Amino acid sequence: MRLSELKPNTKAIVIDLLGDSNLKKKLLSMGITIGVEVKVIRNAPLRDPIEIEVRGYNLSIRRAEAENVVVEVRG
Amino acid sequence: MIRVALAGNPNTGKSVVFNALTGAKQKVGNWPGVTVERKEGICEYRGVKMLIVDLPGIYSLTATSIDERIARNYILNEKPDVVVDIVDASNLERNLYLTLQLIEMEANLVIALNKMDLAKAKGYKIDVRRLSVELGVPVIPMVAIRNEGIEDLKRAIIYAARNPRKPILRYSDEIERVIDLVQKRVVEKSILLDYPPRFVAIKLLELDDEILRLAGIDEEVVREWIS
Repeated sequence: MRLSELKPNTKAIVIDLLGDSNLKKKLLSMGITIGVEVKVIRNAPLRDPIEIEVRGYNLSIRRAEAENVVVEVRG
Repeated sequence: MIRVALAGNPNTGKSVVFNALTGAKQKVGNWPGVTVERKEGICEYRGVKMLIVDLPGIYSLTATSIDERIARNYILNEKPDVVVDIVDASNLERNLYLTLQLIEMEANLVIALNKMDLAKAKGYKIDVRRLSVELGVPVIPMVAIRNEGIEDLKRAIIYAARNPRKPILRYSDEIERVIDLVQKRVVEKSILLDYPPRFVAIKLLELDDEILRLAGIDEEVVREWIS
């Protein structure tokens, strides 16, 4: 499943990052690393960007970027 | 005069610290060739003068945005005597990413651990001493908005300028092994002599566009070195 497909208030674990190396570096520098827990807070109007919670802070990322984050929903 | 650069994420209270250090003695301009604001000011403490340069607020030191490039190039090329990393204690994990990159650059670092009041309100208990030991960098707890810790920070800057140190952070054995492989080539081939070889090796491993370009090395070559 992709981060872009998660419904608000769902938690998931990041299991892989796709895309080119610059996008990967950007995601990593924002704290989105393999194994980290992410939670979707809400979708903006027109569903872009997405606001997520990661490592205790809120982050807005573009839907196109979130499509490159592979996640797994746990419990 | 001690030359000091202020680095830190956006919203860490960097401007508050800058104002507390420099008071009214400020000069505002812009970084050469770009419209990003550049502020500098003078701080005097017991007869010691410090030139404080406020770097743009950034989350990391990759070369992907103009703000990040300004901060990175300033630290690498101007080699300030001390770099003060302003860290938001209430958002520690997020902020330490930049701190690690400053350590990788072998900057003579002092950490200003700001917003200690907010961290406390959030229920965080931060072992400041332990943080300092683990990172190998002095850590000054502060509440800059209430002027708490500013005098300690001034003393820490002067001490650091007189006793410069290069913090080194070791990664896992697997990573250290490849850093070592690349670092040997960097030294052997005298690549980017002005920069710390370990830093150059790490950036080459990250396939950092700007360092690859400056070194005149193709990313395939780096891949070959570590294969």
